[in-house]
Amino acid sequence: MAKLLAGLGTSHVPSIAAALDKGLRDSDEWKPFFDGYIPAQKWVADHKPDIAVVIYNDHGNSFFLDRVPTLALGVADTYRPADEGWGPRSVPDFQGADDFSWHLADRMVEGHFDPLICRELDVDHGLQVPMELTFGRPDAWPVKVVPILVNTIQYPIPTPQRMWDLGRLLRRAIESYPTDEKVLVMGTGGLSHQLQGARAGFINPTADREWIARIGSDPERYRTMSREDYVEEFGSEGAELIMWLVMRGCMDETVTTLYDHYFAPASMTGAGMVLLENAR
Amino acid sequence: MTDADRIPDTPLFDRPRSNAGYALNKMAMGLSTADGRAAFIADEDAYLDRFALTPEQRAAVKSRDWAEMVRLGGNLFYILKISAVDPTPIREIGAAQAGMELQEFLDTRLGKVTNG
Repeated sequence: MAKLLAGLGTSHVPSIAAALDKGLRDSDEWKPFFDGYIPAQKWVADHKPDIAVVIYNDHGNSFFLDRVPTLALGVADTYRPADEGWGPRSVPDFQGADDFSWHLADRMVEGHFDPLICRELDVDHGLQVPMELTFGRPDAWPVKVVPILVNTIQYPIPTPQRMWDLGRLLRRAIESYPTDEKVLVMGTGGLSHQLQGARAGFINPTADREWIARIGSDPERYRTMSREDYVEEFGSEGAELIMWLVMRGCMDETVTTLYDHYFAPASMTGAGMVLLENAR
Repeated sequence: MTDADRIPDTPLFDRPRSNAGYALNKMAMGLSTADGRAAFIADEDAYLDRFALTPEQRAAVKSRDWAEMVRLGGNLFYILKISAVDPTPIREIGAAQAGMELQEFLDTRLGKVTNG
């Protein structure tokens, strides 16, 4: 059966992509941010995952408000970079793990999660940036991807508990998939930021650092917090952090935090990562 | 969400705002294609005529009044596409909504930083 290799939580801020595209990786402003990912990148490269399940939200690029899927699942064999207003970025297309995606579709619906099934889907920075932060800028991505998209834009957004439960189901789906592939689960978004309203520019590094410190060792509070509490503590767009709970819910109760990193602000966002492994 | 406006100065994108801003956001979504962007740049009024904007929304777009666009139901993820055809840094859009000059916004909200 397939194996859960590790869980990665990471920001997916679009300015990270812009910094890479402008050649600012090693600038004074950005180098400390990118360098903080190097140990986790090395660990992932050494452990060679076959599939990356990427939980993210579309940012009004592949879905408009005419149809808002609370949950969507890609089942394509290829995903192209979306045009977010500046033309599609020149990153390689993403090869889809379509067979695993369909297996997951079966397990989700049987488990009473009912996603929109997407056969054609362009993927925006929500998927691109975590892949670049994990795998750099290769000519071809070293893993196949499974996009899971969560509506975090139009209310009602799903509850933190629902995200956790989806993670539990994802774990069972991985471990009932009849290959010997290794799966990396990536929960993305956040950390604190707010783009809308007079509180725009709100960030909360104290809460962010606590999240980074506790999401592995003591996630209970975050599972039971309300959506409003997320918005208050992490900002209106910081509520994206609920998607990390899919990753955390996928893992054992006891995990080891292999690496973590925090940097604020990346553009207008508290940014960072954790790499978690089930305790041996 | 039963208490969507509990958090000050934080307009959650709920049913009233999504309804109010639908045409505005749809106009902005049209800029996610090269054809839409070319049409906007060539003749902004003619492009805006394609959408059922209210006079207030139209004026807010024309004057690039970001706070007003959000007040009228615009959601940043859509209206940000206007900044792709009329370049405006995201932090200037943030400062405008906060009602601050850019440097004051960077100092007080983001802790005096320069990361773009």
